[in-house]
Amino acid sequence: MRQTLLLSSRALRESVRTPEALFPTLFIPLFFLVVNVGQAGKIFPGTSTAFLHGQGYAGFQLPSSLLLGASFGSAALFLVEDIEGGYFDRLRATPISRTALVLSRLLAESVKALLLTAVLVAISLLLGVRVASGIGGFLLILLLNAAWAVVYAGFMQLIALKTRSGAATQSGGLVFFPLLFLTPSFVPRTMLTRPMEIAASCNPVTYIMEALRTLVLGHVDWGSVGLGFAVVAGLGVVMLALNLRMIRNYD
Amino acid sequence: MTWAVEAEGLRKTYPGRTGEVEAVRGVDLHVRAGEVFGFLGPNGAGKSTTVRMLTTLLTITAGRATIAGTDVAKDPDGVRRKIGVALQEAGLDPRQTGRELLTLQARLYGSTAAEAKDVAQAQLELVDLVESGDRRIKEYSGGMKRRLDLASALVHEPEVLFLDEPTTGLDPASRITIWEEVRRINARGTTVFLTTQYLEEADQLCDRLAIIDGGTIVLEGTPSDLKADLRERKQLSEEPTLDDVFLDATGRTRTRVAGEVAEVQA
Repeated sequence: MRQTLLLSSRALRESVRTPEALFPTLFIPLFFLVVNVGQAGKIFPGTSTAFLHGQGYAGFQLPSSLLLGASFGSAALFLVEDIEGGYFDRLRATPISRTALVLSRLLAESVKALLLTAVLVAISLLLGVRVASGIGGFLLILLLNAAWAVVYAGFMQLIALKTRSGAATQSGGLVFFPLLFLTPSFVPRTMLTRPMEIAASCNPVTYIMEALRTLVLGHVDWGSVGLGFAVVAGLGVVMLALNLRMIRNYD
Repeated sequence: MTWAVEAEGLRKTYPGRTGEVEAVRGVDLHVRAGEVFGFLGPNGAGKSTTVRMLTTLLTITAGRATIAGTDVAKDPDGVRRKIGVALQEAGLDPRQTGRELLTLQARLYGSTAAEAKDVAQAQLELVDLVESGDRRIKEYSGGMKRRLDLASALVHEPEVLFLDEPTTGLDPASRITIWEEVRRINARGTTVFLTTQYLEEADQLCDRLAIIDGGTIVLEGTPSDLKADLRERKQLSEEPTLDDVFLDATGRTRTRVAGEVAEVQA
């Protein structure tokens, strides 16, 4: 664990020194939040739209933006830089645990996601959003979104370790990107067309989004929140196992 | 006798598009403790692949290797504690400062924060980078990066230092500085295993050397013995250079134009 913490600190320092990589993770989700609310806010007024539970449409859209912000997989992009630049081999030539090599970046990613989520939620308050589930709910939002960031970064790290190419890692990450939109991102699942509802129901991201949404909009459905955490935990275990397998067979 | 580096029948194969590619085909090596051992060969001969196997970065397909008595395949972490590695591309993190990089490296080998701070300072002094120690590595010149790479490979005082083409791409002055560092490191008792494409470098630094070609060792000995052997075998009137030894061993020829080596052809 000591080695993981040492390498995580280095990964965080690296992020602080690369603000140009942090900027899009904040700007792009905010952009989508503002644009989506601007386009559909009048269609779904808070006063007469039941699924908004008295909030504006921004509250409904916030979870999509939070998930988007947590889905840049910057850990993997920094990892592939290490691979291409030779620093990864220097680390591999030290007697540190192979687990620490992949876990450290995921841990750093979770810290970054916690901060990013807090900032995005804080900014959304200016757009009239309120976290109806209170401080406890806010903490659960942070935890769930950070856990998703770890899952997504884990997926991207698999591509980085397999291809060892920055370009492939970036484009490989985009393959997963549409999954974020095959969700009930604009209306609840029950209002989707049947094919879209089936697609959304098969998409694990849907359950994380719905868990975040219930925490933001209130009337907390603990079953939904539990399901979101269960999905992210399951995916997390799978990604971690695959990352460990990949690093142990890295040649 | 415990060799600093010992390899027997070392092989590495990769799956290729047209079948199995044999990069290293049964390499035997015996490097004594305290010597500077040169590992020469043309591009693609298997030098780097051999080094990567010896340093645990690549799995060994067949054969066995030990570093200071520790088996590379059976106890890779044991080997990693005994070796320092500076590969072809200086493996550095451009966003850290030189001091941060060395401190982290020392801590990864188990030093406490206070010990690591002292180690980093000592290593910066060793490679004459104290003044630049707090600058980001991305601001370093090529020569400074190589020196920092060397220092980073030495933080845990390894028994064997592997240097894979340490001066490739450097200007002559930086190259000589690296040679001086290598001599200094070796004088402290560290065995140095060095790959290079520069025969002058091997002549200057190495106590013994081996030439690899096509994945197998084709010649091994001290530079002076190898030159004397070639002179006797070819009945040469002048002392041959290590270039001549290399060309003879690898079956290559060269065309000299106005005294310059114009090309080396297979």
